[in-house]
Amino acid sequence: MSGHESAPAPASDGVQWTTVGGVRVPVELLSPTLPDPYMDIEDYDPEGDLMVLNMGPQHPSTHGVLRVKLLLDGEICVKATPYLGYLHRGVEKLCEKLSYVQITPIVDKNDYVSPMMNELAINMAFEKLVGADVPRRSRYIRTICAEIQRVGSHLLWLGTFGLDMGGAIGGGGSIFMHTFRERELLLDLFEDLTGCRFHYNTHTVGGNRHDIPAGWAEKAIKVLKVVGDRLNEYEDFVRSNQIFRARTVGVGVIDPALAIDLGISGPVLRASGVDVDLRRDQPYAAYDEIDVNVAIDTGGDCFARYVVRVAEMRESIRIATELLGGVPEGPICSLKPVKLPGAVKAKHGQAIYSAIESPRGELGTFVVGNTERRQSAIPYRCKIRSPSMHVLQLLPYLCPGNNISDIIVALGSLDPIMGEVDR
Amino acid sequence: MSWPADAVALCTERFGLEICEAEGPEVSREQVVELAAALKNELDFTFFVYVVSVHFAEVAPVDADEEKGTEAIPGQPDRTIVHYRVRRLSNDSRSTDTFAFRLTVPTGEATPSLSGVWLGADWQEREQFDLVGTIFSEHPDLRRIMMPEDWPGHPLRRDYAIETSHFPWR
Repeated sequence: MSGHESAPAPASDGVQWTTVGGVRVPVELLSPTLPDPYMDIEDYDPEGDLMVLNMGPQHPSTHGVLRVKLLLDGEICVKATPYLGYLHRGVEKLCEKLSYVQITPIVDKNDYVSPMMNELAINMAFEKLVGADVPRRSRYIRTICAEIQRVGSHLLWLGTFGLDMGGAIGGGGSIFMHTFRERELLLDLFEDLTGCRFHYNTHTVGGNRHDIPAGWAEKAIKVLKVVGDRLNEYEDFVRSNQIFRARTVGVGVIDPALAIDLGISGPVLRASGVDVDLRRDQPYAAYDEIDVNVAIDTGGDCFARYVVRVAEMRESIRIATELLGGVPEGPICSLKPVKLPGAVKAKHGQAIYSAIESPRGELGTFVVGNTERRQSAIPYRCKIRSPSMHVLQLLPYLCPGNNISDIIVALGSLDPIMGEVDR
Repeated sequence: MSWPADAVALCTERFGLEICEAEGPEVSREQVVELAAALKNELDFTFFVYVVSVHFAEVAPVDADEEKGTEAIPGQPDRTIVHYRVRRLSNDSRSTDTFAFRLTVPTGEATPSLSGVWLGADWQEREQFDLVGTIFSEHPDLRRIMMPEDWPGHPLRRDYAIETSHFPWR
């Protein structure tokens, strides 16, 4: 590109200018939906006050391989453009090659922090397509697993959120150590139930594969009580901590109208004061048999998102404990044990959508069945609607005007999981 | 699955659409932006759930064979069906009504982008453009989002040869 001398003088084009942190930049450049990401900064910034910085794709606080191209004026962000695709594995293409039974262990790796949720979401859609019922005992097991998984996912979030703030809480990464200790207890529970710590492959079309082993319910209630008590410790640790409050209160405020327009759901939306939770509004599994108290905060900032997630953990512990006390007897799967991958067949080729409330928001699955006789055990098209992708769309609106250190805190508070964004 | 009555009334009365019980109405490309704006602004469907393109490869017609006794099968053009779904979030009634609609695009032609109505459609339309190759006209930033910028073809097309090696990634 040409140098400063031959660059067109920006003011003569009728460009409107504004000032960000003392630097004159065109208004057009600040638009969050600016079409040209490869803009030549020199054209806009002849004095050379702005700098482009790539945060990621290998950056410890982007929670995966997210790349954010930041246009900086010193420490202040002028513009942020996220780039995805570094973890694209073609899950949807794989779904067109595998049968309904074989897909479950593949989608485990999407949202790798809460695999139970992925399995539940995709199997609920397949059950609708295939027309399979789910026995009541299986619905209870699913709900219990989902709630324990939600606690585990939020615990991981809380730990890494502490790391994002530079170990601001209690020095070093101490909250990270604490939350991982408790998360390990929950993973042990899943190991007892399914044989795996992650990537369980326990849900299947029509029910579950693994029944609750003897003594598991009592152990789970005990573990959930321990985790609930430790949550009080974290609250003492974090909530009134001056450093934590200074880093989170008033940082990354999200306007509820913008959040809804961008398709953001889950704790991020609820922390902006929108009272939506699919567990209560559109009950699935066993949620129609239990009340869900939805945690709301109207702050909209990082601290509000912390408050909402901690309240959700408490609520999940309550739900799981209550359900564990009354798991009904009966079969755990309505279909016969699957011996052949092609045993489960779609009955029609219509589009099916079903959604659950994952720890990150509305996790949906869109499936079109294949009506060809020899292909009827394989989806024609499968799409996963991931909440994290919509949350990342917020970055161009959230970052401008903030410090880099605040961007990292704001990004951490959104809790995106790149495996789910890129699929 | 039953659709919300006011959305059904809007589609049948103002736009003259037929409602499919499973998949919602089929909209024409000329009407879709108008319908989307009416759904959002008048009926409060503010939350965008998904846009999915489903590609159907061309099927050659099969003539009737009297010796074998098979019937003629009509051919299908190369086309893409674009499914949309929106959700109504309301704080007081706690309803989460959803409404779905779809349209058919001959492959290679463009369909209007809805990202001007719902901001949430922006990246999902980019993803469908990237993976299925549906062109959304007047999208502010229609670039590839998942695949590398110089990737040949659209992987989720049904006629995409998955065994072909793509330099230098495979």
